Amino acid sequence: MTTFLIRRLIAMIATLFAVSVTIFLMVRLMTGDIISIIFFGDEAATDEQKDLVRKQLGIDGSYFHQYTHWAGRILFHGDFGNSFQTGQPISEILGHSIHITAELIVLGIVIALLFAIPLGVISAVKRDSAADYGARLTGLIGISIPGFWLATLLIIFTSQVFNWLPPLLYVSITTDPWKNFTQFVFPALSISVFTLAIVMRMLRATMLEVLNLDYVRTARAKGVPRRTVLIKHALRNALIPVVTVAGFEVGYLIAGAAVVETIFNLPGVGFNLLHAISQRDYPLIEATTLLIAAVFVIVNTLVDLVYGLLDPRISVAD
Amino acid sequence: MSTLTETWKAVPRRRFLVVPAKWRNPIGIAGAIIVAFVILTALIGNLIWTNDPNLSNADRLLGPSWAHPFGTDEIGRDSLARIIHGAQVSLQVGATATAIALVAGTVLGMLAGYYKGIVDQLVSRVIDLVFAFPGLVLAIVIAGLLGPTRRNAMIAIGIIITAPFARVVRAAVLEVMGFPFIESSRALGASDFRVIFRHVLPNITAPIIVLTSVYFSQAILSEATLSYLGLGIQPPEAAWGNMLATARQYVGTSIWMSIFPGAAIMIIVLGFNFLGDGLRDILDPRVGGVTDAVTKK
Repeated sequence: MTTFLIRRLIAMIATLFAVSVTIFLMVRLMTGDIISIIFFGDEAATDEQKDLVRKQLGIDGSYFHQYTHWAGRILFHGDFGNSFQTGQPISEILGHSIHITAELIVLGIVIALLFAIPLGVISAVKRDSAADYGARLTGLIGISIPGFWLATLLIIFTSQVFNWLPPLLYVSITTDPWKNFTQFVFPALSISVFTLAIVMRMLRATMLEVLNLDYVRTARAKGVPRRTVLIKHALRNALIPVVTVAGFEVGYLIAGAAVVETIFNLPGVGFNLLHAISQRDYPLIEATTLLIAAVFVIVNTLVDLVYGLLDPRISVAD
Repeated sequence: MSTLTETWKAVPRRRFLVVPAKWRNPIGIAGAIIVAFVILTALIGNLIWTNDPNLSNADRLLGPSWAHPFGTDEIGRDSLARIIHGAQVSLQVGATATAIALVAGTVLGMLAGYYKGIVDQLVSRVIDLVFAFPGLVLAIVIAGLLGPTRRNAMIAIGIIITAPFARVVRAAVLEVMGFPFIESSRALGASDFRVIFRHVLPNITAPIIVLTSVYFSQAILSEATLSYLGLGIQPPEAAWGNMLATARQYVGTSIWMSIFPGAAIMIIVLGFNFLGDGLRDILDPRVGGVTDAVTKK
């Protein structure tokens, strides 16, 4: 187990390094000449002005110098540089936005599990009933509906039926918890549907498998109540593979969050990424992409480790 | 007489046009019908519905009517004509991005699986690197950095779906390479080229066909998302994604603008997912996939 742990951690650090180099190079190689884009049409710009902008953007000197400077400041000082458009420190911008994205993802996964677990259990226990078919149809639609369209449909529904629209300006959870909840519940719902569908089907399959095992029949035969058998004996074991799937899904929720934050005007990390792209704010693009990718890599490693803990075969085989 | 008819009946009647049991796959057939319908719409839709998708020739924000079955948009363009144009755009971007992934993914996966060793290490690390990003985020960043055009959206989507292609092709090639017939053809002195094209490639077509259908749906969904975020097809050209983006401002007054393009995206994605699922059942029962966990008992 220790070697497994160490190997996974080393792999994670190597991946993070490679990811940071990739982002660094993408911003420099994919944009063409950043300076001529910024000074487009500005004939009066002097070379001094251009050099100053180069320095602000961190694109002066060799790539090696640029990268070590950029990565070193992030690693040792937590300093991502300043936003090119507003001059605000990027660590400050991220500090204001990361909890919004985190809240969205946590709420998304809670909603997904809240519906997926009962639906999966009912679907397995009442196999081939109307409830089962309903749950499976929900699953099919869940993997094909675009999250951003679902968000729009939800807004149409509440505005037509209840004549109500979610608040347009972000309200923090400490100032007004209820208003904050009404603001987050729709975006969270729309990113959770894909995860809901995947987890539900996974649980249905594992439940069907577990319910056919000998120890479940033994428990029923010795007179343990049906409900206790379902929850204590069957569900507990069926949930193990589901936990890991749900863990990997957290990573995909981050991508979904980036889109719905923009739709619902929530200033999270994804919102800042898209804003930075439209403003050509290269340091902010680098920082937000790095943050999203880093969280994605770390979460995936953690899920891997948890899976190794729950299922010893994995860590031994490695 | 009775014995004669009994014997007669015992011989099964010969049936014409017998479909093998494994091709009778309701989900796959439903998917094929949906996909065929959308392709047909893209090909001949604008011959049947001859309104110009870019001409403002009606009142603005009309609801559905006989003259405009899907209503009109914010400057009086016919929504049905725009949806038909959107089908062309979606299929074109989806096909190009999938073709990029198909070629690049097959070549990379083949190199890695066939030559193993250092080539495999190199290719596998590059694939891992793409997988270290949430796919959509990577597509957004690439499209954003290259600039929001149709060509760049195709490149961005092509890159993110190349990685899963290469990974599956590599695994399939490794499996085929383990079979004795590869070794024997090499022992007979066949060149790498001959082994790859005569022996390996024909044996990995099944997973490649399944992947193509499944990732076609992903490509279309990604294109819609990029266009929705303003990073794909640019207005005034109609794409389902940017139609939905415009519709957001009229969500309170003209809900039809939001309903139809979104439904179009969902139907085509559902169609390709179903088709991929059916093809998987028929061609390659080993590989699991997107709808697998949802549709199987």
